[in-house]
Amino acid sequence: MVDRKRWRAWLRAIHRDVGYLAVGFTIIYAIGGIAMNHVDDWNYTYNSKERTLAIAPVTDDATDEQAAKLVADAAGKGRADDVFRAGDEVRLEYADGTKVTAIGAEVTVQEVKSRFFFRAVTWLHAAKGKQGWKYIADAYAVLLLYLAISGLFMIKGKLGLKWRGTLLVAIGVAVPVVYLYASGGPEAHADPKPRVSDVSS
Amino acid sequence: MSRPDFDRYPELKQAWNRREFIKRAAAGTAFVALGGALVRIAADDLTKAARAEKRADGRARLPPGQRTLEYLRPMGGDPSDGDVKTFKLRVHGDVKTPFEVDYAGLLKLPQVTKEADVHCVTGWSMLAGVWKGVQISMLAEKAGIKGEAKHVILEAAHGFTANVPLADATKDNCLVTYRLNGKPFQLQHGAPVRGLIPDLYFWKSAKWITGVRFVKDDRPGFWEVRGYHNHADPWKEQRYG
Repeated sequence: MVDRKRWRAWLRAIHRDVGYLAVGFTIIYAIGGIAMNHVDDWNYTYNSKERTLAIAPVTDDATDEQAAKLVADAAGKGRADDVFRAGDEVRLEYADGTKVTAIGAEVTVQEVKSRFFFRAVTWLHAAKGKQGWKYIADAYAVLLLYLAISGLFMIKGKLGLKWRGTLLVAIGVAVPVVYLYASGGPEAHADPKPRVSDVSS
Repeated sequence: MSRPDFDRYPELKQAWNRREFIKRAAAGTAFVALGGALVRIAADDLTKAARAEKRADGRARLPPGQRTLEYLRPMGGDPSDGDVKTFKLRVHGDVKTPFEVDYAGLLKLPQVTKEADVHCVTGWSMLAGVWKGVQISMLAEKAGIKGEAKHVILEAAHGFTANVPLADATKDNCLVTYRLNGKPFQLQHGAPVRGLIPDLYFWKSAKWITGVRFVKDDRPGFWEVRGYHNHADPWKEQRYG
């Protein structure tokens, strides 16, 4: 017969080591999940900044070079990689993706910077289409199951499943069950609404 | 609650620290949630004000199920390169003289500036934007639209299309637009040029527009074949087909 104390000690030791293994994955999935949950409120792949400045309007007789210098100086940018003039617009483009547009007496500076960390974690979070990562993600899910189930039996007595544990497990199970009931579940939300990030508007 | 005497009861120290941590975490969470609630309440004031207004045509300023935002919300999609130098707009289909214009050519066509509200199918609206561009009715006239054409297909980068009845697309506030509130569009909002069909849900206002095609028979577009409403009238809440 297995020594009960020894059995629980093994459970705890494995739980601890699996927990260490899961740290990196959990950070990726938790942060990626929060970022993707709030896709309505922000763009997790790029950070777009826009600022406007006032200048003396570029005159029609200014050469492209003169116009570009006037606008670039106002925007606090160096020599543009590309200059385009059409109508009342002077547009400058830079290799880092920055676009500077002068329209009359107003200059708009548009900068787009990639959010490296959030792009990476959300890319990893969505396992679809990544053949190798899919199996790594499955393995992590199995580890999480172990953490959840072994966690139930790690501590005995009042702080374990006997009282505190049962109460907290019940709460944890009740939250999704109550939400499913209150919201009507997937059947009540079966319209073809796609992910907000897919809507082109 | 006063702090226990840890020298006398050292076993309480860990529990007390945990309790303090939970209290502070709960206070922090409540603070953040309250901040979010205040933002919501402020936004609701804008929505309430908009709901009390009427349009010139007698309809409510804000269609049902919408709330107001003060800016366009980035909604994703597959952008073009956003480059004015490579931009081309093709006007074709059931027309006598199809043509193509580049960005400079577009700016040489008759220009209009229109104030218009836009309404996204996901539930937000942006009111009173000032949009500059060329009317789709003007493009139809220039191309010599044939009598049998009854629909307009707005074509955009990577094959995106949105279908609009000709009667809707040729209203005077329907544009091919390159400027909002005096500024060029950001790439995420359709730069350099996008469509504007303000009285239909905003997905009809195709971003990164590349073409305007006049057709006899209706051809449901990208979202219309994926379960979205073919007409998309916000005042009738025609969100899904």
